[in-house]
This record gives sequence, C-alpha cells and structure tokens, in this order.
Amino acid sequence: MFTTKMALRVSAAAMALAVALPATAAPVQIDWWYSNGGKIEEAIQGLISDFNASQSDYQIVGTRKGNYEETLAATIASYRVGQNPVILQAAERGFMTMLNANVAVPMHQLMEDNGHKLDWDDFIAPVASFFKVDGKVYAMPFNSSTPVIYYNQDLFAKAGLDAPADTYQGLDKQLHQLKEAGVGCGMVLANDYYWSMLENFSTIGDYPWATKANGFGGYDTEYVYNTTPVVDQVTRIKSWIDDGILKFAGQGMLPEQLFTNGECATYIASTGAHGTMDGITGFKWSADFLPGDEGREMRNSSIGGGSLWVMANKTPEQIKGAADFIAYIGTPEKQAWWSEQTGYVPITNAAYETMKADGFFEKHPTREIAIQQLTRGTPTDNSQGFRFGNGNESVAYLLEEMQAVWIGKKTPQEGLDAAVTRGNQVLRGYEDLYGAK
Amino acid sequence: MTMTTDTAKRRSSWWEGLLRPSDQGLKGAHFRRPGIAALLIAPQLLILLFFFFIPSWKALSLAFVQIDPFGGRQIFVGWANFTKLLTSESYRDSAVFTLWFTILQNVATLALGLILAFATSMIIKGKGIYRTFILLPYAVAPVISGVIWAFLFNPGVGPLAQLLHAMGIAWDPTLNQTDAIILVTVATVWKHICYDYIFLVAAMLAVPASLQEAAAIDGAGPLKRFFTITMPMIMPTIFFLFIMNFVHGLFETFALIDTMTKGGPAAATTTLVYKVYQDGFVNLNLGASAAQSVILMILAVVFTLLQFRAMERKVNYQV
Repeated sequence: MFTTKMALRVSAAAMALAVALPATAAPVQIDWWYSNGGKIEEAIQGLISDFNASQSDYQIVGTRKGNYEETLAATIASYRVGQNPVILQAAERGFMTMLNANVAVPMHQLMEDNGHKLDWDDFIAPVASFFKVDGKVYAMPFNSSTPVIYYNQDLFAKAGLDAPADTYQGLDKQLHQLKEAGVGCGMVLANDYYWSMLENFSTIGDYPWATKANGFGGYDTEYVYNTTPVVDQVTRIKSWIDDGILKFAGQGMLPEQLFTNGECATYIASTGAHGTMDGITGFKWSADFLPGDEGREMRNSSIGGGSLWVMANKTPEQIKGAADFIAYIGTPEKQAWWSEQTGYVPITNAAYETMKADGFFEKHPTREIAIQQLTRGTPTDNSQGFRFGNGNESVAYLLEEMQAVWIGKKTPQEGLDAAVTRGNQVLRGYEDLYGAK
Repeated sequence: MTMTTDTAKRRSSWWEGLLRPSDQGLKGAHFRRPGIAALLIAPQLLILLFFFFIPSWKALSLAFVQIDPFGGRQIFVGWANFTKLLTSESYRDSAVFTLWFTILQNVATLALGLILAFATSMIIKGKGIYRTFILLPYAVAPVISGVIWAFLFNPGVGPLAQLLHAMGIAWDPTLNQTDAIILVTVATVWKHICYDYIFLVAAMLAVPASLQEAAAIDGAGPLKRFFTITMPMIMPTIFFLFIMNFVHGLFETFALIDTMTKGGPAAATTTLVYKVYQDGFVNLNLGASAAQSVILMILAVVFTLLQFRAMERKVNYQV
C-alpha cells in the first residue's frame, strides 16, 4: 500500500518534471530488493543515495522485501510475471538455486560486457571461492560475514575471567564458572546458530560436513555431519541448555536483546551484528574469534550473508546501470565505508588495506576479527564453503531436528541422523532435477 | 413399492441426507430460463476463474512435477510427491496435530461462545457494552494479536509468562511442545470466540419469546429453558459454526502460528496449512507444497459440501 502510493507519487513527480523539462531524459529506474533491516538498511540506503547523486543516468530504488527467504520468494513470484527487480540480494545459501535457475547474468560476464575491470584475485579468498564456479564469479559478494563471539566484559570480570577460551571445551568450563559466579545466562545464540555453532565448527575444525568437498565436487554429495565431532558439539549445547547456561530468546523478542540488555555473558552471531553492538551503553563488551575444537588446528571459518545478482530479463540500460552500481559499491573507498558502517567484512584486499591505512582497526580492534578468521590458514575441502542444492530446505530440517534435541525428544545422535537422512533426500531430489545437466 | 420403502429407510438416518443433494429450501425456487441465471452468475464465475480455478489448475499441475523455483526446469514425477508425503513422518505428525488442534479449538470455541451468548441473553442492562467487549478481539488483525500473544507469553520477558513462573509453572513454549500447543490453541480460541458468539447471540434472539415465556410460566428455570428450548432451536446455527470452526482451525490460523511459534518447537505446532507455506515459500519445494495444497483442497471441498447439504435442509425460507 505505502510503497504503491509512494511509487505513484514518485512517478507523478517524475511526470511533472518531464513536462517541465522536456530536454532532460529521465534517469533509468533500477529496482533493488534486499533483506536487511535496522542499521544495515540505513547503510544500504546510504550507498544508494551516494550512487544516485554521483551520476544522472540511473536511479537505484532499494526496497526491503522481508528476510532472505521472503525476498527470494517475492522475486520468484514476480519473475514469473516479468515484474522482478533488476538487482536481487540473495543469501549465500541460495547460491545454487540462483545459479541453476539461470535467470541472472553471470557476474564476471556482466562486468566484462559493461567495461568494468575487476581484479577477482584481489577478493578475500573464502569469500570469492564461495561464488566461483570453474574459476568464474557468478554473484557479487555484498554483505559478507562470518560468526564471532561477543562477550560482556563486566560479567566475565565478575567470574574472574578475561576473555572467551580458544576451544569449546575451554568455553564450557568458563560458562560453568560464570554460572557459579551468579551469572543467570551464560550464552545466547543468534537464530542462525546452525551456521555459527555447527557448520563453522566443522569448517574451523576441518571436519567434513558432506562428501565431495561439501558439494563442490558434484551433485552426488551426501551429508555426513552425523559421523563427526559435530555430535559432541550438539551434545555440549544440549548440556548447556539442561544446565540453564544457554538461553533461547523465543518468539516475541530478538536473541541479541538478551545480550544487549546485559543479561547474557556471551552471544555468538555474525560480525554484521557489530552495528547493533556499537549502541550498547550499559556495560563493556568485546568480541573474539570463534572457539574451535580441542586438539585441532584452527582453519578459516565460512562466510554467510548475501550476494547480489543482476536479473537477465531486463532492458540493456537497466542491466548496464546495475553493473555500474555494483562496480561503484565494490570500489575500495565504498567497501571500506560499508564495512565501517555495518561490521561486514571488506570483500577485497584493497578495501581491507584502505581500512588499515585509515587506522580504523586500531580504534575498533574487534572489527578485524572476522577478516582474520576468514583468511586464517589455507582453505581445505572442508573449509572452503558449502554448495548444496536447495540448501534452505536441508537447513530447515536440521533446525527442526535440533529443536527436537533441545526439548529432549531425541538424543543428539538421533537428531543428527534424522537431519542427515532428510537432508540427503533433498540432495537426491536436486540431483534428479539437475544432476544430468 | 420397494423404491419407497428404500427411500423411507434411507431417510431414517439423519446423516444419510448429507450425502445426497436435495430440492428443499432455496433450491425449491429457481429460474425457468437458464440464460438469465447464467448472466447473473457470470461476474461471480469470472472472479472464481481467477481466484479459484486457475490457481487450482496450477496447483494440480505442479503436484506431479519436480520443478526449479523459477520454473526453468521441471521433471514429471507422477505420484511421487504424494507418496513421499504420505510416507513421511513429518507430514503424519502434522496431520495428527492438525486433527487434535482443530477438534480442541472447535469444541472450546463453541462451548465458550455458548456460555457467553447465554450469559449476555440473561443481562438486562448494558447488553451492548458486553457485546462490544466480547467482539473486540475480532477487530484485531491476526498478525498483531499473534505478536502480542507471543510477547505476553515469552518466557524471558512476557508479563503473563512471569506470572505463570511465579505460580510455579515452568512455562516455556520455546522448549516445551505442550506449552507451545496450549499457547496456539488458547490464542486461536480467543481470536475466534467472537465469531461464534455473534452468530449464537443472533440465533438466540430469533428463538420466539412466546415459547420461552410459556415455559417460564410452566416453571422452567433459565438453564432448563436453555437446554430444552433454546438449544434445539439454534441447533442449525451450532452445526454451521461447527463446520466454520473446522475451516477456521484448518485454514485461517496461519498468521497466529507464524507469529507465535513458527510451527515449532520441533514442528509441534505445524498445521497442514503452515507446512504448505514452509515447504513452498521457505524451502521452495513447490512440488511437495502443491501436492499438499491438493490434499487440503479436497478436504475443503468436502467440508463445503457437507455444510451446504446441512444448510439447505435446516434453513427454512418462508416466502
């Protein structure tokens, strides 16, 4: 309703302008649908208005369509009637869906066709590799993140602790110390804990999540995380729930509120939560590297967040404008600004160097954790990322089975077995559809 | 001869009438020239074409394929979507929950609606105020009421959850399936009582006062009058509401569930309709979602038929 009205008003204004100034051609409108709210949305709108002010040929119009799933569903529905946006921000998990649907212009080709030379080798390794197929980039990493652990320094001091341990085994002891010191809530997890606590536990510990290099090696990949130390990790999380150490926010409130109100001592979430953390006034907080598994070498963590796709069914001018916009926000200056505003990682080394040169990380040391964690060591088959068809569906089943573990309906092993069985059915369905391609 | 005895026999069980169409009630009067009738229903049919027949055809055609969400590639899989559904544990669990949930909320809504309607019929002063108050929840959008309920009963911050905790009840709908089911059921009943209530109040007003007075003179108390006069007289309305409550529980609780539990924990509050949404719009498994829609459509058609059959027998139009 509101947007329709606004669109009407904007187009009315545009028409009035066109009548008044017949000599000036109206800028080509380019719609962009994205999924971030709050502080991040403010930064997105900042990028858009900067771009619109920097030239007069194109007008980017950004609209938040809901969360990632809702935005993708809205795009699919609108695509079927040809009303889809030019630019779509899709979650990293939707990569295969977008790639195989073959509805977007491959990013490397888009940039070449429109005269933008991007140095793909300068992109941060695990970020770029996630969106590369056969060495070519298919989507532009936009809001790239990785999970970190935020902690309440005041509560840690109360238990005589300094910083979170390097391993989950050590963290386990610390959480019990916090409890003994009278801290009512040791930990709260963001809603995407399957990503931070399970998938990243596997990548950092170099454990396979699935066969065939986590899906990079072919459609006949199979989930195997029910046979790795992920089982111990789930058992550990369950024991924290039973001991009253780990809390869930439940419907009606956001998990991060339990951390920002000073109740919970630790909060494991995306580095993109930094924007919210900066608003904390009641206590001293800091962030640290995600813990690993005891006795394992720590590898790089895996990325999350969203990437940009430019839909192929639009006019050449719109596609050209979208390419210009994407090249614009990929410049080191804009990347550095974006990263400083939101906490997301800069996607290129050049942007990272710009931020270093500005002395940004000296003032905000926790902002550097994510990029250091992403670039730690050499990526292995298990840590380079995930490539699963219908990834959303497998994750939905994993979450459902994990809830069954948390409420005591299933043991950790039973829950993971069920999640793997259901996830593999999804993979086989996808293989039926695309395997022969 | 044999024909008539057969008919008489069949007429003897009340439910048999629901299985066949009848010429009673509305159907007694009809147009002699079908052309005018067709013209009059044409606009309605056009709306149905766009909002029912085309979507239904889409659902039917999708139910037998596996398809890329954007529609670029599809393979015919026959009945596989249906067999997968019917053999899957999660679909069975969802069906069982939906069954108990609809029955529970149906009976509770009707019972509470009846009590409230009966109580307001006893009130002499300020009837309007009571009625307005009881009808208020119906004016609140389902999403808004869902958010409010979720907040009120949030184990961490909800004031009503704190009250339960103070009473020694370990209330936590995020980690306890029973609590989540109770929360969803109570909210659904709260939201739908108004609907039943307004119909029951209207039906009770239509009960002839002379009957009530005659019974009162004969010494029947309010409760006796309610059960022996009012109840039988409003039975058609109760039956109508019974069907409507089923439809409501099955198809219209989506917003409440989405805002209060998201179908969890561990799919404990996933109704069949919520599952269609999750599989179709979150998981983008359009084939499975379409197959579920087809099953639900059959259910809806059965309920609608039952309701029409019941209505045309019970409603008496005196022209």
